[in-house]
Amino acid sequence: MKTKSKSSFLSDYFIIIIFVALVVLLTLIKPSFLSGKNIINILKQTSIVGILSFGMMFVIVSGGFDMSVGSTIAFAGILSALLGQGNSPLVLALAAALAAGLAVGIVNGIGIAVGNLPPFIMTLGTMTSVRGLALLISDGKPITGISESYKSVTTATIANIPLLAVYFVVVIIICSFVLSKTVYGRRVFACGGNMQAARVAGINTTFIKISVFAIAGLLAGLCGFLMTSRVTIGQPTAAESYEMDAITSCVIGGVSMSGGVGKPWGVVIGALLITVISNGLDVLGVSSHWQKIIKGIIIVVAVLIDVKSKSKKN
Amino acid sequence: MKLRKLTAIAASAVLAAGMLAGCGSSGSAASTAAPAESAAASEAAAGSEAAAGGTYKIAMCQQHQTNAFQIAITEAAKAKAAELGVELTVFDANQDAATQISQIDSAVAQEYDAILFEPVDPAGLGDAAKSAVDAGVLVLNVVSTVDNWESFGISAFSGGSNVAAGEMEMQQVADLLNGEGKIAILTGPSGDSGGIDRHTGYENILANYPGIEVVVEADCEWDTAKAQSTVESWLVAYDLDAIVCENDGMAVGAGNAAGANSGIVITGVDATPDGLEAILDGRMTGTVSQDAGGQGANGVEAAVKLLNGETLDNNMILTENIWINADNAADYQ
Repeated sequence: MKTKSKSSFLSDYFIIIIFVALVVLLTLIKPSFLSGKNIINILKQTSIVGILSFGMMFVIVSGGFDMSVGSTIAFAGILSALLGQGNSPLVLALAAALAAGLAVGIVNGIGIAVGNLPPFIMTLGTMTSVRGLALLISDGKPITGISESYKSVTTATIANIPLLAVYFVVVIIICSFVLSKTVYGRRVFACGGNMQAARVAGINTTFIKISVFAIAGLLAGLCGFLMTSRVTIGQPTAAESYEMDAITSCVIGGVSMSGGVGKPWGVVIGALLITVISNGLDVLGVSSHWQKIIKGIIIVVAVLIDVKSKSKKN
Repeated sequence: MKLRKLTAIAASAVLAAGMLAGCGSSGSAASTAAPAESAAASEAAAGSEAAAGGTYKIAMCQQHQTNAFQIAITEAAKAKAAELGVELTVFDANQDAATQISQIDSAVAQEYDAILFEPVDPAGLGDAAKSAVDAGVLVLNVVSTVDNWESFGISAFSGGSNVAAGEMEMQQVADLLNGEGKIAILTGPSGDSGGIDRHTGYENILANYPGIEVVVEADCEWDTAKAQSTVESWLVAYDLDAIVCENDGMAVGAGNAAGANSGIVITGVDATPDGLEAILDGRMTGTVSQDAGGQGANGVEAAVKLLNGETLDNNMILTENIWINADNAADYQ
């Protein structure tokens, strides 16, 4: 596995090279890109997609993927906005958001592990229905009137570092630990590497499959809670296509779409990279249409290098 | 091996998508199976129903039902229908032109007396409207029109003027800045006719104010979170006096990025609850209300008048735009 050929070195560190090159380029064109204020912006803008990407990483590493997380953010965000109005304790809003996310995740997991549905179909279904649920509960309107303490969940800072980024760091630490240091984490990798072999080795693959979707749902629920705080309203149309950003962060961070391969730091860099593209081009005043073109090219190139390095190994 | 599996998944995904699309169209095809033969019948039925004093059936085909503006239109139209004693059914096209065409077709087949619709696509819905008119159904546009709407036999239009709303918003900004300053513009998705019209309104006013410079512009697709990130990034690079947004959702995002009472003039359009809240706590400066409810209610009223055989003073019924700021925002909440 650890054959350090030239191409595997490139595929391991390609993303960092691209990231550093982009940061240097943007700073040369516009020095204010690397100002303290903008670094704080980048941290704030990365955090929600970053947290979502870690949930997605569990799913992709185990050999599946999840289209429903964007809708889950909206659904959980609406629930926590409704419960975060007035003086009701924030724990209630947080618990509701997490429970909603977890429920969607478990439904996905059961459909896929027990019902044997392809992940794409199952999560396409929940993506559509859960979005409908968010619209139904909110009657299609934004939910206003969340409390000041709820708003401060994301606006507050510790030593100038936004709390939003602190949450992201906590999620990174927990997820990295679970994936690389626990038996459970190794089993997730084993399922994605070879489901048959994992089953023969006595791993409860049904449990692993359900649990990874539950984790993705739980983290999407957390993102919903944070999203409502950040934009100060619960929106049924929020986080449209965020699942694509999460998948993109994973893929350009070196998580293999066929499962079994991926490093947490890669996902962090992947999430930072897509934020830096948007943020950098906004700072430069470049049309947002270019952001899409550039993101697309980076995805394809990242996967191309991944595929090339694998075919060499074989 | 893996590749094969992926291909299989992709193939089944495409299949499923096809099936979903197929279901939608086959469902409506079933209900529109006999529009041609029922066309003449419905014309006769409409006539006799009106003569007998029966309840008019009105179909309201809305572009989507996913924001406060659209919901306000629907609610006001329903209230007006109840007041006038007519039956109103709302169809939601989900932003899809094909869906809207089949909804119009099936409304004709189900012998509705009138169809009120907001075209998903100004260029693509004319023929569907024409065939409904040919089948003897009264057709009106609400909120926005089909291109060259009168040539397709559409009887009237009830809506607000997006150009006028854009003009009012930019005029207020120009006055607040005393005709001088650097501004940024947040637009809706490229190609959206409402957004394009509001932008035309901005340009009309900016032509009179050479001292106002548009330094940067971005397409934030009506989305609050996206607008918030974009404006956070802009504030690092630009010194802005005003941020002019094509809707309130994006203006709220801009307001969140700038913070309350930032000294930057931040404006929107629509007067939705989130916008009014932001005006009252100082994150936004003002918004233009297009009286969404009035657009829906006027449309229903016009349809009933025409069904009764009365004539309209003007077949373009436009609502008044109102400027809302911290002084009067509470009245509209």
